[in-house]
Amino acid sequence: MVFKDTMHIGNLEQFEGTDVTPGEISKRKDFLQFRDADIERLLEIRQFSQEHVESIVEEFYHHLLSFPDTKEFFRDPRVLARVKKAQIDYFNQLTAGNYSDDYVRGRLKIGRVHQNIGLSFDTYLGAYRRYLESFFLRLFDAYRSEPEKAVNSFLSMLKLVFLDISLAMDSYLRTIRLQTEAIRELATPVLQVRQGLLISPIIGLIDTQRARQLTESILRSIREQRAKVVVIDITGVPLVDSKVANHLVQTVEAARLMGAMVILTGISPEIAQTLVVLGVNLSTVRTVGDLQGGLEEAERYLGYRLVKDDKATPFQS
Amino acid sequence: MPVPILKQGALLIATLQDALTDKDWLDFQFELTKLVGVHRSTGVILDLTVLDVLDSFATKSLRTIAEMVKLRGARAIVVGIHPDVAFTMVQLGLTLHGIETGLDLEDGISLMKHPTEFRSH
Repeated sequence: MVFKDTMHIGNLEQFEGTDVTPGEISKRKDFLQFRDADIERLLEIRQFSQEHVESIVEEFYHHLLSFPDTKEFFRDPRVLARVKKAQIDYFNQLTAGNYSDDYVRGRLKIGRVHQNIGLSFDTYLGAYRRYLESFFLRLFDAYRSEPEKAVNSFLSMLKLVFLDISLAMDSYLRTIRLQTEAIRELATPVLQVRQGLLISPIIGLIDTQRARQLTESILRSIREQRAKVVVIDITGVPLVDSKVANHLVQTVEAARLMGAMVILTGISPEIAQTLVVLGVNLSTVRTVGDLQGGLEEAERYLGYRLVKDDKATPFQS
Repeated sequence: MPVPILKQGALLIATLQDALTDKDWLDFQFELTKLVGVHRSTGVILDLTVLDVLDSFATKSLRTIAEMVKLRGARAIVVGIHPDVAFTMVQLGLTLHGIETGLDLEDGISLMKHPTEFRSH
């Protein structure tokens, strides 16, 4: 079987604003078994589809408007009129016989729009199901005398619909990926608070990659700032698994090889329990209850002494 | 190639070069411990700044040297381990426990001036 867009396989240039390449789309269509015969079947029901499009779209919006969550999107009647029109266009495209790059681009764009207005993926799926029901009930009704034809058209349509859903999903997945990257890029800060004393407050989950990044920036900072003590505070870390714990231990040991001491502070009862139950050996790590205690310990070690000046005038704004 | 060992007051400073053979390490061990006695040194600084790799034999030798020096009545401090080298060593389980470490030569010299009860783990 030769596919109309086989030539795209290997084309790695992504569709604008997405992670999807034309080659990927070809592979997807191939796996969906979306073939030339399907395109022909879809073209055959074009006339039927154009006759029913308005009532189907009406039913679709009736469904959406009967749920408060989705109704919220269409408070403005102008918006409703606009999306209805877009929906009719989309519906006509389903049987237009052209499912190449422009079609894909359009679908991906719709996915991004959904994302931007905050439409959740389960709402998208639920709405799509409602759509299909309206469509198929009418289709079977129209082709009552030729049930086989109805079934085949139905199946061809289903392939296209699944392609569309996969494209919409790409937009959602891409956003999730971008968010994950953004969170990862929130640099784990390593800050100097006194000569030779660094602190590194860690907020959020540490995975292996972040742990590695943390190690790198701590070791680099020790060298650059000539630090003797680093206080790592993990108060903001919800949980630590054995892998991450071992990574922390390795960071401590590596810092020691560079002549610096690491103090670990803010180990929550949950993390303490996990570490003990997992049998992580933290005997080489100096731990102090909280960040304040850690800083005090570090200052003691570095020979700093903090003296309160009773004569100081209180700060006035 | 022999390792240069410099005398600086009561200290001995040895700058380890890249690509030392196992024999070089052994020669260095004896030379250094001998010089500790000759100069009546109170401390030895082993500077690894130029090393970009430290294998298990080198680590074991460092440990042996540190312990030999201690037995001869002096202190030994290892300095100048590069961040990448440090992390690789730790991953290989070569942690130099019980040996004092410093950031660089300057740090090592200043450590020698203060007895530090904190650092031995």
